[in-house]
Amino acid sequence: MTATTTTTDRTGAGARIEVRDLTKRFGSFTAVDQLSFSVEPGRITGFLGPNGAGKTTTLRMLLGLIRPTGGSATIEGQRYQDIASPMRMVGSALEATNFHPGRTGRDHLRVLAAATGIGDARVDEMLELVGIPAAARKRAGGYSMGMRQRLGLAAALLGDPKVLILDEPANGLDPEGIRWLRGFLRHLSRQGKTILVSSHMLQEVEQTVDDVVIINNGRLVKQGRMSELHGDAKTIVRTTDLDALAGALRVADVTSETQDDALVAATDDLRLIGDVALRAGLPVYELRAATTDLEALFFQLTEGTNRNLGDESAAPERDAITGQEGANG
Amino acid sequence: MIPAIKAELRKFFTTRLWWGMAIAMLVIGAGLAVAFGYFVTAGAESGAEGVPTGTAEQVANSVYTGGLSFGYLLTLVIGIMQIGSEYRHKTITSTLLAVPRRGQMMVAKVVALLVIGAIYGLIFLVGSVAAGALVLNAQGYSPFPSGGVFRTLALSLLVLGLWALIGLGVGILIPNQVAALLIAVAVAWIVEPIGGVLLSLWDFGRDHIVPYLPSAATQAMVNGVQQGGPDAAQPLSWWAGALVLAAYAAVLAGLGAWRTMRADIS
Repeated sequence: MTATTTTTDRTGAGARIEVRDLTKRFGSFTAVDQLSFSVEPGRITGFLGPNGAGKTTTLRMLLGLIRPTGGSATIEGQRYQDIASPMRMVGSALEATNFHPGRTGRDHLRVLAAATGIGDARVDEMLELVGIPAAARKRAGGYSMGMRQRLGLAAALLGDPKVLILDEPANGLDPEGIRWLRGFLRHLSRQGKTILVSSHMLQEVEQTVDDVVIINNGRLVKQGRMSELHGDAKTIVRTTDLDALAGALRVADVTSETQDDALVAATDDLRLIGDVALRAGLPVYELRAATTDLEALFFQLTEGTNRNLGDESAAPERDAITGQEGANG
Repeated sequence: MIPAIKAELRKFFTTRLWWGMAIAMLVIGAGLAVAFGYFVTAGAESGAEGVPTGTAEQVANSVYTGGLSFGYLLTLVIGIMQIGSEYRHKTITSTLLAVPRRGQMMVAKVVALLVIGAIYGLIFLVGSVAAGALVLNAQGYSPFPSGGVFRTLALSLLVLGLWALIGLGVGILIPNQVAALLIAVAVAWIVEPIGGVLLSLWDFGRDHIVPYLPSAATQAMVNGVQQGGPDAAQPLSWWAGALVLAAYAAVLAGLGAWRTMRADIS
């Protein structure tokens, strides 16, 4: 396959996800609209958007659960349902509630393991890895949200897949669990695996992801490095005479603009600004590096146009079988 | 294909449903064999008014399959739940992530249900043949008057498997599991028998519709004693009954498979 030649030195550990012009209409409602993006191996990619943006519908199309109205979604160049042994290529955890309450967590994994020809030893190993070896022998009906997330993660990892697709994996985890998850995903991505993590909160994944794909109303808003989102470095400085300081900075080749009662300079060199102010004889009341307000940025990227202020699955969440009005053909 | 079938079987045997059903099968098989054993032998060959009539073979068949209509109701329920609980608890998502080719998933469910039907059939027969043979002996009847009895025993395994497939189809066509269970049981136990009686009042219905109803086809397969005298609908031969019941199973499971192939799972 062509994709393998484009991967890095960790060829074989990960696989490329490619989404092209993906579209899904449920009746007259367009949940996903000509969406294109790609996800690279060895990196953690955040799949972001407000509730109802079409994230879950996109992931379900990628996993062969929902039929696209148009376009394609492939992994290593293949549709999910065409992959010979899908759980060995792609591990996924879509919802934390997908368990039969009368079956133990361990048996849930054993059912999936049987379908892929994986033995019980691997099942127990995964339960150990996510930290629920004893609890998994109880019926899933009594599991906490955190337990369900961990069990879902264990299920996703059963086949030692090249690609990991996790839908809102941090939901229901306590701060300790979130920290654990972050370290765990880092560890997996260092092995070269492709990791796609959806979230409706940019801050939640800020410290976890390398790349972001942001969508809204089913359309791509932004794809790029997480670091790019922070934009160019800026420094905030307050003094008595903003215009005088701006002039002095211009002489030092630093552009700046006035914002409220402060000056925002296009540099991350705090020392330079301090020196310029000193030479100009201006007192400095505040001098700090500006941090990007990611929440505001995220809102700005996705604001105003949110078509349905309801929940994520408002449109596709109909009955599993009867909700097929949008199926093509 | 084999791993997918194994997964379906493991799904069934990892909840409490299976052993509850197993006990019920054994009790129903044995209990109704005893009840039928006394009832049928009381007058099967006497020809007296209002009592069932039949040969010694039909008497034995009736005793061993006395509880079969309860038994197939249970496998009907199992068939519904094998798919219905997947919708209800949304495990259909992880099932299709493990076996994304839906035709393969459906074939695995069909094969698993036939296997489950046969296993429950064996449990049922252990109870009904052990208890029934004792009663027949006690009443002075031969427990195994002819080879036809063994054909009936073998066919009852098929009966239970086919009703499970009918359940599979119903469970897909009515995705609400509770509604599917209520409707299926009501149709099999109330609507169909009453409809059969009403249709029997009409000559064409009695001759050309009633024998093809699922329960009548089932009874024809196991060839028991006849009730209702010469005016009753004549049953199909055992093989025609088997074909008719298999057709019901094929149509319902087929419709279910067709629908599953196209559905969006969200």
